[in-house]
Amino acid sequence: MLSEVLVWNAIIGGIVFGVVYALIGCSLNVLAGVLRVINFAHGEFIIAGSFFAYALYTGLAIHPLLALPLCAVVFFVAGRGLYYLLVPRLAHSDEPETSSFLLMFGVSLMLVAIMTWIFEADIRPFNFSFEPINVTLYKVENAYGEGRHGRVLVPTARLVALAVNAVIIVGLTWFFYRTLPGKALRAATMNREAVQIVGINIHQLSSTAFGLATALAGITGVILALVVPSIDPNGGADFTLIGFIVIVLGGLGHPVGALFAGIIFGFVEQFSNLLLPQAAAQMVGFIILVAVIFVRPTGLFGKGVSK
Amino acid sequence: MTAMAEKNGPSGGNSANGGWEAAATVLEMRDVHAAYHGDISILNGLSLSVKENRITGIIGPNGAGKSTALKTMYGFLKPSRGSIVLGDEDISGRPPYDMMARGVTFVPQNRSLFNELTVEDNLRLGCWHFRRDKGKVEAALERVFGQFPILAERRDTLAGSLSGGQQRFVELGRALVVEPKIILLDEPTAMIAPRISREIYDFIEALPESGITVVLVDQNVRQCVNVSDMVYILDLGRNRGEGTKEKFSHDDHLKEMVAEWLDYQID
Repeated sequence: MLSEVLVWNAIIGGIVFGVVYALIGCSLNVLAGVLRVINFAHGEFIIAGSFFAYALYTGLAIHPLLALPLCAVVFFVAGRGLYYLLVPRLAHSDEPETSSFLLMFGVSLMLVAIMTWIFEADIRPFNFSFEPINVTLYKVENAYGEGRHGRVLVPTARLVALAVNAVIIVGLTWFFYRTLPGKALRAATMNREAVQIVGINIHQLSSTAFGLATALAGITGVILALVVPSIDPNGGADFTLIGFIVIVLGGLGHPVGALFAGIIFGFVEQFSNLLLPQAAAQMVGFIILVAVIFVRPTGLFGKGVSK
Repeated sequence: MTAMAEKNGPSGGNSANGGWEAAATVLEMRDVHAAYHGDISILNGLSLSVKENRITGIIGPNGAGKSTALKTMYGFLKPSRGSIVLGDEDISGRPPYDMMARGVTFVPQNRSLFNELTVEDNLRLGCWHFRRDKGKVEAALERVFGQFPILAERRDTLAGSLSGGQQRFVELGRALVVEPKIILLDEPTAMIAPRISREIYDFIEALPESGITVVLVDQNVRQCVNVSDMVYILDLGRNRGEGTKEKFSHDDHLKEMVAEWLDYQID
């Protein structure tokens, strides 16, 4: 029989990592929807965000929560710069979407090389902890037999990460649904030509989308640095893959769908780890990816994206 | 221009504003060549004049380059040769947002609404160019809601759930919300019920009286000729004829050309 403590841990892990995955999917979806660019380098931007927080903390003793706004600004500017450097050239390609895939794959290799060059190939433990380290969320009576109580302990870092993510997601939802620039970004996912017809400079809007997605990746990296034991320069591909699963599940070009899909995937991942052998648990993500493509190619929330 | 061009014919649809010749030229395409992908050329030396507060019609068989002509005027395509002149400025290849800033708007043939945004949000995005002037935005919205009362009733409705005719009114309203000098209309009544089409044509015909110059591409030859002050016939991206409504009804060669190419007999 499953331990109640383990089930609670899986639920909490599902929520914490689910909102992280939601953020990854949301930023990937902004890019896919507005620019028709599948960002193969997204995971590397996330790892770069983790290293950004690591460097600020170890080098300048800057608290990771203070690194968040700094990271957002630096990555937003870098993302806009990268857009103008790379993406407009894709317009000259006969197959811009395929070219974008290859281009961003090249960027991912470049980022891995830069991070390995600066931080070396070793994984880096991020030796930062909140006080107290853990919070007792729930006491379980007779968890391990009669008279042996257990506790559901949650690392404070996970609760902080959850709270930060929740604030960011609420902020993003407000931005996309309540502000004109946010509506313009959503409009670009619905009809890119019409956005130009109403007089919006498509390059400005696209560079904003690229900057926003890069900033979100960086922020995700800072948050991940709090909840994972170490940072690996080669670990970006895992997050890119998770991002792809989330946007396929939520619907390509549907930022809000990605939020729900991320949380769904977070739960599936945590409970797979709890219920299945490790090798089988790792396959669940791929099974979801393939199943959604076959059964509902537009995703759970998507209605298709107009060209 | 072709040899058939007649510059001194009487005015067509908007003779109340004075003749075609009396009006100032506000937009010109001069020997324009344009292509979508490298070597597939759609416009092959197109020339036409658009005159102030007049309706300029463009007709021609499928694939003649009518829609491409409008897209090139609006900056979606950059001419590989020739020039596009707005007023006295060469604006060839300027992007759409620049054309909007110069008082030109465009309603394409295909639906151009943001289906998952409300009618009001669609119109607000039409005000993007002056979005920081809140007072001007609100005044512009109220003006459009006054012109199209049905849109005022449906302001909170998702655009994608409107009927085809109502969607077209949103597109027209969104184009007019910026108080343009020139509006480019591509097949404004395509796939629209006849009753609504008549309303749309009445609306278009009245635009010059509001100081708005119209360029109208239409497959509906009768309506296009009826409302236009000057009609250009295109084929394979070139001029094949032009004339006022009256010239169309008297010139046997034009009549034959239209009858042969467009399967339409001018009375």
